[in-house]
Amino acid sequence: MTLTIDKLEKRFPKDDEELVAITDFTLEVRDHEFVCVLGPSGCGKTTLLRIVAGLETKTSGSVKIDGVEISGPGSDRGMVFQEFALFPWRTVRKNIEFGLEIKKVPKEKRKAISDKYIELVGLKGFEDSHPYELSGGMKQRVGIARALANDPKILLMDEPFGALDAQTRNMMQKELLRIWAETKKTVLFVTHSVDEAVYLADRIVVMTARPGTIKEIFDITMPRPRDRASVEFASLRKHILAELEREVVRPTPST
Amino acid sequence: MSSPWERLKKRWRKISETGTLRILWITPLSLAGFLFVWWIFSIIINRAYLPGPYEVFRAFIDSFLTPAPSLGITMGDNIASSLQRFLLGFVLAFCVSVPLGLMMGFFRTAETVAKPVIEVFRPIPPIAWVPVFLLIFKLFWGPVMVIFIGVFFPLLSNVIFGVKSVDPTLIDAARTLGADRLRLFTKVIFPSTVPFLMTGITIGLGIGWMCIVAAEMIGAVGGGVGYYIYFMEQLGKYEYMYAGMVVIAILGILTVGISRYVEQYLSRLMGMK
Ligand SMILES: Nc1ncnc2c1ncn2[C@@H]1O[C@H](COP(=O)(O)OP(=O)(O)O)[C@@H](O)[C@H]1O
Ligand SMILES: [Mg+2]
Repeated sequence: MTLTIDKLEKRFPKDDEELVAITDFTLEVRDHEFVCVLGPSGCGKTTLLRIVAGLETKTSGSVKIDGVEISGPGSDRGMVFQEFALFPWRTVRKNIEFGLEIKKVPKEKRKAISDKYIELVGLKGFEDSHPYELSGGMKQRVGIARALANDPKILLMDEPFGALDAQTRNMMQKELLRIWAETKKTVLFVTHSVDEAVYLADRIVVMTARPGTIKEIFDITMPRPRDRASVEFASLRKHILAELEREVVRPTPST
Repeated sequence: MSSPWERLKKRWRKISETGTLRILWITPLSLAGFLFVWWIFSIIINRAYLPGPYEVFRAFIDSFLTPAPSLGITMGDNIASSLQRFLLGFVLAFCVSVPLGLMMGFFRTAETVAKPVIEVFRPIPPIAWVPVFLLIFKLFWGPVMVIFIGVFFPLLSNVIFGVKSVDPTLIDAARTLGADRLRLFTKVIFPSTVPFLMTGITIGLGIGWMCIVAAEMIGAVGGGVGYYIYFMEQLGKYEYMYAGMVVIAILGILTVGISRYVEQYLSRLMGMK
């Protein structure tokens, strides 16, 4: 699986003029890779992910999966949302089976698949709970399992742990790495937390403030599990943070 | 450490804090107060026009036991007739307003086309339709249609509102999981509107019972509680008229109560509470 984004541009109509959300964005995400897109708020991270997911149209450029231009959403790309976006009237199991129902997978097969992913994300015993009965961390486990149950080639995650408290967030990051290692999926993960990106990523794509484009790409070769207290981790975090802070304070042309 | 007395006090405080106690105490108290005021007024005002609670209670019991003069049917028969009519009107309104509301909420063109017509008819009170409906639909379907009108509009508005309140991220999630337009509708939009639909049903039930007297006033096949009230007024048997009003109140409280219970259960399930 290869995701190829080439000279992507996205403009939104805004009053009389246009708002350039993303410009000249070129990136290739390789098979099994864990790529974090890091950038200041409003730089177009969500827009980028939504375009790859097929939820949003692009203005120009190309976005290809294995050489095929994407047009609209498809089950080859799974998405995990910051707001969890679980169906509140469905149980954990029924949420996870949603995509399989759409694909008309027979019931026994559906159950076998949902069992596998319930086990994988550690939700055993909560199959019949409704989302309102779950904590934020557990809700996002459902969100991840639901996306994975469709067996996508790539997992798109938009600040999936942004709504969680610090402790839960750290635990979920660890869990995500375990799940990633077990499923061997490709992950495109959006965040505005440097710490999160350094902990998770094979590569960190730092974006500029709006209009969002790639500022710099960092290869993170530190072996996993990474130790946040290590000198290497701290110096990398400091370096990337400095890069990012320049973007936050940079005066943006006409907002 | 805590003595049984302490524990009892704590428990007591908990019950009174949750409001259960307040409801248990105050509801009978307020009802008793109402009956007392009623009784006082029945003494001040001409008793023939405003009988006291006891007379009405006696008439209430009697209305179930002995067939009403000139009508020849008991209150049970009247309730059965009214319920049948009510149910028909309600189901009819449900079958029309739910699909229409879903369409109007989902397709902008459907709303643009239907809205002006609906806005013209909405402010007309159901009672104004009584003569027309009796002429057009006659004695059986006429009253049914009055109830239909009463239930139709609150249901419709709530369904439209429900469709428009669907969480857009749920639509996004369903689309990334492969849902097409039809499946978006059946698996996301429709379930999302169910709590709103229940709110519409609760309001519709309340308004439906308000319409029943008007619906049955001029005439109805096989009697009816509304018809009974009107008929007893004509006969000057006011205690029986009031008994009929009590029956409608009870029917209303029961149906609306059940509906509200279901509504709250669903809202909780949907994480809206
Ligand atoms: N549907 C839209 N219509 C108009 N402007 C939008 C829309 N979606 C996003 N934007 C704008 O595009 C810019 C990037 O937004 P977004 O991708 O959400 O940023 P991020 O996720 O990095 O915080 C913002 O200025 C935002 O206001
Ligand atoms: Mg965002």
